[in-house]
Amino acid sequence: MRFLATLLFLALLVFGVWSFQAAESFGAWLPPHVSSFGPDIDALFKLILWMVTFFFILTEVVLIYCVWRFSKKDPSKAHFTHGSHKLEMLWTAVPAGLLLVIAFAQMGAWANIRFPSAFPDGEPVAVAWASQFDWRFQYPGADGVLGTMDDFESAHDFVVPAGEPVKFILRSRDVIHSFSVPQFRLKQDAMPGMAIPVWFQVDEDRPGDYELICMELCGWGHYKMAGKVRALPRAEYDAWVADQQAQFMSNGIEE
Amino acid sequence: MNCKSQRRLGTAIVCAASFLGWSCSDQPHAAARHYKLSESVVKELEDAGFRAREEGQVLGALEMLFGTPAAPGYLVTNEWLDDGFNPNWPNYAVGDNGSGSVTDAEFAAIVEGNRQRFAGVIAEIEAGNFDGVEKALADIPRGNLLAKLWADLYASLGEEPSADDVAAFKDDAKLTFEEYYPSFADSAELYRQQCLHCHGNEGGADGPTARFLNPLPRDYRRGIFKYTALKDKARPRREDLFNTLAQGIYSTAMPNFRRFSDAELHGLVDYVQLLSMRGETEMLLAANMVSDEALTTDMVLETYNDVWGRWSGQDEKLITFDGPIPAPTPELLHRGAELFNDPNKGNCFSCHGQAGIDEHGHSWGGRGNGSAAFADVLDEATGEPVRSPWTGMIEKKATYSDDWGHTIVPRNLEEGVFRFGRRPIDIYRRIYAGINGTPMPAIGESKDAEGNPLLSDEDMWALVHFVRSLSEKHDGIGLLPQRLVARDDSASEHSEHSGHAPAEHGEESTH
Repeated sequence: MRFLATLLFLALLVFGVWSFQAAESFGAWLPPHVSSFGPDIDALFKLILWMVTFFFILTEVVLIYCVWRFSKKDPSKAHFTHGSHKLEMLWTAVPAGLLLVIAFAQMGAWANIRFPSAFPDGEPVAVAWASQFDWRFQYPGADGVLGTMDDFESAHDFVVPAGEPVKFILRSRDVIHSFSVPQFRLKQDAMPGMAIPVWFQVDEDRPGDYELICMELCGWGHYKMAGKVRALPRAEYDAWVADQQAQFMSNGIEE
Repeated sequence: MNCKSQRRLGTAIVCAASFLGWSCSDQPHAAARHYKLSESVVKELEDAGFRAREEGQVLGALEMLFGTPAAPGYLVTNEWLDDGFNPNWPNYAVGDNGSGSVTDAEFAAIVEGNRQRFAGVIAEIEAGNFDGVEKALADIPRGNLLAKLWADLYASLGEEPSADDVAAFKDDAKLTFEEYYPSFADSAELYRQQCLHCHGNEGGADGPTARFLNPLPRDYRRGIFKYTALKDKARPRREDLFNTLAQGIYSTAMPNFRRFSDAELHGLVDYVQLLSMRGETEMLLAANMVSDEALTTDMVLETYNDVWGRWSGQDEKLITFDGPIPAPTPELLHRGAELFNDPNKGNCFSCHGQAGIDEHGHSWGGRGNGSAAFADVLDEATGEPVRSPWTGMIEKKATYSDDWGHTIVPRNLEEGVFRFGRRPIDIYRRIYAGINGTPMPAIGESKDAEGNPLLSDEDMWALVHFVRSLSEKHDGIGLLPQRLVARDDSASEHSEHSGHAPAEHGEESTH
């Protein structure tokens, strides 16, 4: 029984370490990143993962040792301790230090994604409207100004140019939603009553269709609130915009 | 824990797991075996003295004409056979723009969508790895619906085929997937997975989640669809239904279904059309039966043909505009504002509320708070208006209801939420033909006392552009409330608005 219990915890340790090492080859890990945020976010993810791994192994080894050492019947009397001041200092100071390391390590990435100074210059390409349970993107029309009469809308598909910074405004019509494109390593809540600027840049060599999902439980239809970010090369993007503008001014004969 | 209780716990866990597995499995739930009659038809028949036997006759006739949920399909009449017309054949009239068919452009989009969707499958076929096709299909969402199609196709290759056979089979199989168009049964299955929970088994808007929605889902059975591009309250074209699926109906619980391929959406359009025609036939049959006191085969076929007649020839009723759309000049916008507030012309203000253009040239108003659309709530005992205990203002209730009997309120035009689309031609069509089943009138078809059109082309566009200008956001992103940007000189309207009765739509009650 003692042997079995020890083996069980040992197996847990081995399985835990193996699972995160092997997950990538099973396709059960983060999808490959395609945006300029990708390398930073993934480096932070790996940093934290290795920290967690180290402490997982440490605590598991201590646990296995204790299971093995103390499951044996011992007739001697238990002895009482008030704790160790030194040990308590240690297990407070080390995690605090590690938190500081993480806090400083992530500052650059956070500033790059969220600080207004890091945002690309120029007007936003679109307003992304989240509503129950629909993504809709409002683009400026021929006048290039958002909020005017010639703005056109695209349901479901957020078409953007690849290889250049894309800034847009995130808005919500009703409740809190979250704009999330896992492959961009980008996630931003949409708050009713707020206009939140967001930016990203799709790698120039990775145009394509990327899944957009709502990441904040927003009601009964949350599960079907899907969209798509279509990153197109600049020329194709311009052609798409021109086509949409032409369709917007359709007189109903040619559609 | 003793051995017995351990075993009991084990059993409980196994039971719970198998229950979860059963209820969460993506196996489609067994289809209802038959369509049912609508409650209103049953009542109509029973009021006329008919009993279960006659109800069974109607159900039987409908099943003959439209099939069952598991095997839906139209009855093909003898005339159709002679004409070579068979609505059950997938995309039965490619190139022929008759009702119910897909156009060349739509067919091209279907093929393009299929190439993307079946890319993995087609790659396996081209590589000659036929055993891998089944797995490639299983990896595609809803690919399991095509497993049988592939099995039959593969079986046709036969044992030990020659190299020529294999080459021909490759081309054939590739084409099958590229030109895949779902059968009625496949579309009915997709309908059960995606639509039934609101729209119901017969399209009667009586699915289990329907009652939680506001506005309520559409009841197809009367053949009335709110948003079409047609005049004369015609039945929708397939493009109208397709647009509703692809774009959704904005700001309602009807989301867009762009994540499905074009072929699947066209299949759903076919099935919705079948349900709608079935519902119309059901209501007409019941009415004819009540007047003729019996059901005859001739009557059934005549009703069937009547309904098909209603669902054809829509293309002639398409609302279009000859020539390019006029630019929204300031003069045109001012003309539009006049028409909007003119009781003898647009008369829009009576429901949508006062609107105008301020000294900065910014349009304002049309907040869906017109006096015709709301009435005071009166105390039953005294007949006095009821005041809200919270605000002290007179309580209001909506006065209008739609053809389905639901209370509705006018659109707040400042929100810029247009359910049929926000293109100028979309708004033009709404003002021209109204909204089917609602009090929104067809102004474009209205005539004045001398029989001339009420509004000229120029007037129509003035109104369209003015309505569109109401939702302009002068700070670009619309964060600043419009009433702070544009002038608001109607204090009385404010009190009217904040006190009004249950609003149909969320956006109206945000003020």
